[in-house]
Amino acid sequence: MKTCFVFLRALVLLACSSAAYSQGFDAVTVARGQYLATASDCIACHTAHKGVPMAGGLVMASPVGDIVSTNITPSREHGIGNYTEQQFSDALRKGVRADGQPLYPAMPYVSYAAMTDADVHALYAYFMQGVPAVDKAVPPTELPFPMNVRASMKLWNALFLDESPLKPAPERSPQWLRGRYLAEGAAHCGTCHTPRGFLMQEKKELNMAGAQVGPWYAPNITPDGATGIGGWSEAELVQYLRGGRVEGKAQAAGSMAEAITHSFSQLDEADLQAIAHYVKTLPAIEKAEDGAGKAERFGQGKPGNALGELRGKGYQEGMQGAYLGAQVYSANCAACHGVNGEGTPDGYYPSLFHNSATFGKTNLIASILYGVDRKTGDGHVFMPPFGDQPNAVNHLSDDEVAALANYVQVRFGGGAPTVKVEDVAESRAGGPQSHLLPLARIGMGAAVLGLIALLAFVLLRRRARGGRP
Amino acid sequence: MSKLNSADVVIVGTGVVGVAIAEQLLDAGISVLMLEAGPRVDRAEVVENFRNLPLARKGDPSSCYPPKPWAPHPMPSLETPDDSYLQLTGPDKYAQTFIRYAGGSTWHWAGTSWRLTPQDMRLQSEFGVGRDWAFDYATLEPYYARTEHLLGICGPADPALQWPPADMGTPRSRPYPMPPLPFGPGEERFTEVVAGLGYKNIPTSQARNSGMPYDDRPACCASNNCVPVCPVGAKYDAATALSRLESKGATIAANAVVYKVEANAANRIEAVHYLDPDKRSHRIAGRLFVLACNGIETPKLLLMSKNDRNPNGLANSSDQVGRNMMDHPQLTMTLTLDEPYWAGVGPVVNSGIMETSQGAFRSEHAGAYFRFNNFARNRFVTFAALNKGLVGKALDAEIRRMTACTADVVLAHEVLPDPDNRLTLSDKKDWHGLPKPAIHYDVGDYTRKSAEVYSVPIGKRIAQAMGATDMKIATKFAQSKHIMGGTIMGLDPRNSVVDAECRAHDHENLFLPGGGAMASTACGNSTITMVSLGLRAADAIVRQLRGA
Repeated sequence: MKTCFVFLRALVLLACSSAAYSQGFDAVTVARGQYLATASDCIACHTAHKGVPMAGGLVMASPVGDIVSTNITPSREHGIGNYTEQQFSDALRKGVRADGQPLYPAMPYVSYAAMTDADVHALYAYFMQGVPAVDKAVPPTELPFPMNVRASMKLWNALFLDESPLKPAPERSPQWLRGRYLAEGAAHCGTCHTPRGFLMQEKKELNMAGAQVGPWYAPNITPDGATGIGGWSEAELVQYLRGGRVEGKAQAAGSMAEAITHSFSQLDEADLQAIAHYVKTLPAIEKAEDGAGKAERFGQGKPGNALGELRGKGYQEGMQGAYLGAQVYSANCAACHGVNGEGTPDGYYPSLFHNSATFGKTNLIASILYGVDRKTGDGHVFMPPFGDQPNAVNHLSDDEVAALANYVQVRFGGGAPTVKVEDVAESRAGGPQSHLLPLARIGMGAAVLGLIALLAFVLLRRRARGGRP
Repeated sequence: MSKLNSADVVIVGTGVVGVAIAEQLLDAGISVLMLEAGPRVDRAEVVENFRNLPLARKGDPSSCYPPKPWAPHPMPSLETPDDSYLQLTGPDKYAQTFIRYAGGSTWHWAGTSWRLTPQDMRLQSEFGVGRDWAFDYATLEPYYARTEHLLGICGPADPALQWPPADMGTPRSRPYPMPPLPFGPGEERFTEVVAGLGYKNIPTSQARNSGMPYDDRPACCASNNCVPVCPVGAKYDAATALSRLESKGATIAANAVVYKVEANAANRIEAVHYLDPDKRSHRIAGRLFVLACNGIETPKLLLMSKNDRNPNGLANSSDQVGRNMMDHPQLTMTLTLDEPYWAGVGPVVNSGIMETSQGAFRSEHAGAYFRFNNFARNRFVTFAALNKGLVGKALDAEIRRMTACTADVVLAHEVLPDPDNRLTLSDKKDWHGLPKPAIHYDVGDYTRKSAEVYSVPIGKRIAQAMGATDMKIATKFAQSKHIMGGTIMGLDPRNSVVDAECRAHDHENLFLPGGGAMASTACGNSTITMVSLGLRAADAIVRQLRGA
């Protein structure tokens, strides 16, 4: 079957050998496409660790299994070199590959659907002419049954893909419109920040209200005062997008660090301002990270330490006693973040109090296990991981991470320890797994019936609500 | 045979040289099994060991590495003459420290990485003293560059600040992967002062991530704790690479004390034998063997492995195994200054005067390298303040004053290879019943004369220019803990142990890379040269196994 497919592709390749390469795009269009590709952060997913840009091969953990990003260089054999502009547009905005098979929505085509024809054209010009072809195959994505049945995505698309352009909003300023276009479209903020429903669809009624992304939590970025970014100024949002850090509030890690490294830090000031302006006008939704209180997540905690309980007793004793968390902190964290969690005056090592990362538990655990890696004009911020990685400074166990995280929460965060050993194990495994997979396997028949009912419901409701924002 | 008792290449020792070689071999698809005499510990434990030490023991870098009974190593601040590991004799004491832990002695190195110069490798031809190396600087240079990128050695891009300087005809094949670290206030002042005397204090090239992450390790956080342990792994040490080696397929066995290397009738190495903590013996077979235990444990193991065919020990038909023990004999000047220098900002060693290691005088006496030690001073001056009977705020103020206004300047010398500076097997036995190393040592007239007519006079001028109101100069040479010699390299099998690729002349599948092979010491720290020799050996090993 596969051989047959490859043979067919070879035939098609021969037949269409005049497709992309012969087109000449002007430099201005290619440059605009490059900027849009930056704004869309294609490189973050479509580049393997230390790999060639856009050549794919990055393995991404998803709640339904590992997804391998594809080669989107203009390689004719292994990339998208044979894509016509229409095929490119369909992949980008409809989630359909050139061979007609649907993409998994790990590709944020639900967001990219908002992009204009002109911008898609520019992107096409850039990918065909501005990206060097890499003739290298990547391993295929092999999700477990039934997710390996790509056709099921057609039903998903029917339910959740809104191909209509953004709603006209003549009463809004050009800056707001630009901000919405970027935030809801290219920058695909909602892909991470909007919670997902039972079928992994974005819950539009909770747009940008915070969601789990693998082991990380993409926080509430609606302007709710306590649980969102209501207390942030637009200037602070711009500073964060540009440099990844606002002292006394937060710093970017996980996929947000990637987004800032590859995308936001390189965007025009006016575009960052537009995004900040738009985000501040989102409907405020009060929604805290699971397990976190509803107190303001930025101003908690104070300096302090428990060294008096430890010093002189020896490491092994410290690792067994009631002060395990303090011992792990001293041995692993204090050298950079300070014995009292105060960080450094220049903020390169952030203070652990007055820091949203130590308020909740998800990002606290993930920061410890996975570290932080962020490169901006301000320099390369790198906190090493403490999980199973070969470059972990120490390989901390689930018990140790849980004790450490609770110590940090009590001392520097919200004051109450909320981290359980199982939370750490779940984060180590890549984050919560979707209930979709076991459920789908148990009751395919019931699920199909349910899907049909859901389809009817959503279609009816969408008609009533009138589509995207 | 199971995977655990054989491999293509068996490496004894998990220090920087063994680790560097292992990674080259793994990347070439060659299976590797590593044996480490000591334990494998977490960085967190070492860091806390250090922090829990009483102040009096913090100055001894070995203190936070307590040895396991089966893998003893020197513990200067604890051991007595009766239970000391090294049995030392001679006019000078070859009092080395090294760590028998997985990761080896780079755990507590400063990271200093001075290259040799072309002349350093041709002492006999240029000055009629010592030995020439088996190859020239141009042969070694590409390996230096590889080492700098493998370990992550930062250094200046300006050729005028590099060592060796560009005017020695030593173009660098690659730039340093990172820029140098900035000078602290003490180093800034020292640089100004010695410039007035005509000396150039240049940035130390060092295996430390200078303001940026490198090789998936974090940037230096300037804890000034490089010695005895970098708490975050910003300084390269071989322990940072162990998990990566395992992810590439290496097997690393800790607490495995190799006590015998087994040669067959054709003098090929068949196996090594080790004792576990239960004193059970195990045999590990392989196609090729690397002893990467540096200049004390490697010759000791060769001498212990004697058999009928090799009655003086393996690799020892030349009778040079254990001879030519070398180091960088150093004298420290402790100065009280009339202005604050504030040593201790940044890494512990961050600059040095290297040009004084070179010159025509080397036909008469050793060269010397001068460095302003950048260890924070409070650890060292606190007892002096206490001894003045001060308490409370007065004590704090005096500690602060002495921390700011005292400094150590170190004079590090080269030493010549002398066959009478010799390691033998002591009658005294360790926990496993294995012989302890006995070492006879005399730094020699060549080095002593340098102190008399050259290094100390320069040092005194520097001290005076720094505004020293009090100066204490050590009267006896201390050791720099840069173990060299013991398995010396040469082209002639009659007077050397290993060939130009660190292969034992006597055993074609036995490699003895590292400091033991070095034919001269020069004045700069030895690790970068040890690793470069290791990489050269690794290339030879890959070729040899592929040709087989």
